[in-house]
Amino acid sequence: MNRDDLALWALRLRVMLGKELRQLLRDRVLLAFIVYAFSVDIFLAASGVSLQLNRAATLVQDFDHSTASRELSSRFVSPYFRVDGQISHDSEAQARLDDGRAMLALTIPPGFQADLQRGQPTAVQLQVDATNSVLGFLASSYASLITSRFGLEQAASALGASGAALPVIDNQVRVWFNPNQLDSWFMGITELLNIVTVFSILLPAAAMVREKERGTVEQLLVSPLSPFQIVFPKVLAMTLVIVLGSALALFGVLQLGFAVPVRGSAVLFLLLTALYVFTTAGLGLAAATLARNLAQVGMLSILILAPMIFLSGAWTPPEAMPAWLRALTYLSPMHYYIDAAFGVLLKGQGALELWRSLLGMTLIGVTVFVWGLRRVRMG
Amino acid sequence: MNRHRILAVASKEWREILRDRLFFALAFIVPAFLMLLFGYGLSLDVNHLPLGVLDYDRSASSRAYIERFSASQYFTFKGYLCDERQAGELLSNNQLRAVIIIPPRFGELVQSGQPAQTQTLLDGTFPSRALIAKGYVTAINAAASLDNLARHAGQLGATPDEARRALQPVRLEVRYLYNQSISSIWGLAPKLIMFILIASPPFLTALGVVREKERGSIFNLYASNTSRGEFLLGKLAPYVAISTLNILILWALAVWLYGVPFKGDPLFFLLASVVYVLCTTGIGLLVSVLVRTQMAAMIVTLIVTLVPAILYSGFIIPIPSLKPVAYVVAHLMPAVYYTRIAVGCFLKGVGLTALWPELLILAGYACALFALGYRLFTKRPSA
Repeated sequence: MNRDDLALWALRLRVMLGKELRQLLRDRVLLAFIVYAFSVDIFLAASGVSLQLNRAATLVQDFDHSTASRELSSRFVSPYFRVDGQISHDSEAQARLDDGRAMLALTIPPGFQADLQRGQPTAVQLQVDATNSVLGFLASSYASLITSRFGLEQAASALGASGAALPVIDNQVRVWFNPNQLDSWFMGITELLNIVTVFSILLPAAAMVREKERGTVEQLLVSPLSPFQIVFPKVLAMTLVIVLGSALALFGVLQLGFAVPVRGSAVLFLLLTALYVFTTAGLGLAAATLARNLAQVGMLSILILAPMIFLSGAWTPPEAMPAWLRALTYLSPMHYYIDAAFGVLLKGQGALELWRSLLGMTLIGVTVFVWGLRRVRMG
Repeated sequence: MNRHRILAVASKEWREILRDRLFFALAFIVPAFLMLLFGYGLSLDVNHLPLGVLDYDRSASSRAYIERFSASQYFTFKGYLCDERQAGELLSNNQLRAVIIIPPRFGELVQSGQPAQTQTLLDGTFPSRALIAKGYVTAINAAASLDNLARHAGQLGATPDEARRALQPVRLEVRYLYNQSISSIWGLAPKLIMFILIASPPFLTALGVVREKERGSIFNLYASNTSRGEFLLGKLAPYVAISTLNILILWALAVWLYGVPFKGDPLFFLLASVVYVLCTTGIGLLVSVLVRTQMAAMIVTLIVTLVPAILYSGFIIPIPSLKPVAYVVAHLMPAVYYTRIAVGCFLKGVGLTALWPELLILAGYACALFALGYRLFTKRPSA
């Protein structure tokens, strides 16, 4: 390839890139929603959710009315629990659990204190609304911690021993990368990754099918442009827009609003995003070659997006997935992007440590791109 | 309103759908596929966490202590580590989610009846998972600690069983309501139906009006005597019909394939579901009326339906976990109300008497969407 060819190639790229960007920017509604998604939407997601058990409404049904029973129920306090009042009838507890006004009901049996004093084992009941299984688990876990500590103290005081001398094993749990388990960090970053995924599938696919639907693709196909020169500027334009949006979200929303640490390099994160957009755009383009109109693209993109987002590992622990599904997630570029993005932002990993994710994304990207390009050539 | 004109618009739309065979197939494939995939694959359980152990003690006691973790279904033992640097590395690149560190002299302290310490490192990238793992660690450690106490008390005279009973006089009996097996498909299936019915139907309608605008065929309508209301109703009807069929398919999959018990009134459930589908298809249609290009219609629909459906519908994030602003956003969406209906009908067996407010809100929502679409749609475009 000599210099003139190269210059011509660059010129075609520049002209096509200009066309794509202009087309994108002229659609004001579209532009407004892209900005909204990268700012307000991420802000809402990061600020709006707390996945921790937070002052769960607890009802107490105390049949004993003793010092011991009052002592036990008074330990169900903030931050995890909030006693929402005493009740006397089972039916009342049932009704309030049914309509969701209470999450827990603690029942202390008659003779509770007497049993304790006699050294007789006793039991208290806890009814947990487990409609949400995670919160249900946390509630029962914290509650059993409270009762066993209460029991141990009662036993120790009955034996006349002080708690400090007992040969207990103390396990200190330290949580790395997000020491206070801030949901805003997790939610904010995850939402950013979701938005990037949504746009990088939909924008290039829609841009491609739109040309087909309007018939303008015929003009492009008879022009001296190669399929690569038609497709590449589209993807480049979308990548540019999405990376700009990610920068806005990262610096303007996540760092400024929620003090999300960028422990690695922000530039690396944006480069990673660019690579990911490229890869995923390939997937969108492949879908676009199957579709004849935008309605089909819409349905196809739901078919691709919903599994990608849910099975990326952000919501569903990959360890808990069935083996066949875990194998399938290796085909999803988002699987690698999630690992790499959290790695750079929260764990401070560099490009070398991320080689696995980078390689995975690149391989998938090249494969779907080549396939998509072949389809465009035939079409 | 003229019934014939509505029917005419509806049958034109229906024929158009039928002739687009890929689209027609996808309208049914997408919901069923999502139901199958998520039903079999979506598990929020935190199990089999890969666990590494840094054992500086290497005694019988430390091995017995580790055995308690690796024998549980919550952790999968991946091997012993050499040093803390390796632990950090493996936690960083997701090979491990938890590391237990046992200090030197652990066994000696435990054997001689003195307090001992261990440490656990958890990967906190996904905070709720870390919280649950913390719960497992605390519970397993508490059991180990109690056994140790009991054994120690046994050396003083009492039998270990007696000692254990004396040390743990209060037992907590937990009953999980509404979802007997806490992690099963039962809790998931009703919410899955809710999610699928807001993820897929808006996309059926989102392009309905704007496509005609872009192609120019909308001028047929502008010039015809069909009124705005007749046009919108006719447009909506085929998609509501498709979605109603999907409701039945999803319900059948939940009940027959996954064996989820359905305790409520099927007729009430169907009615509520159809009203819900009116809302979700209505959102798509409203977007379609508002925007000028199909591409914008798709993006706007995704942003206003799919994204909130993931975050604010109670699907994976429980509604009580939402803070005030998000709580308000959640209640601007129809999904929240339908979740209560679906969960109520499936798991709690409650019907119209308990759920009429939700049904009323959904009906109002559908009417408001239609009224808004009617107001904003015009047969006399300015441009």
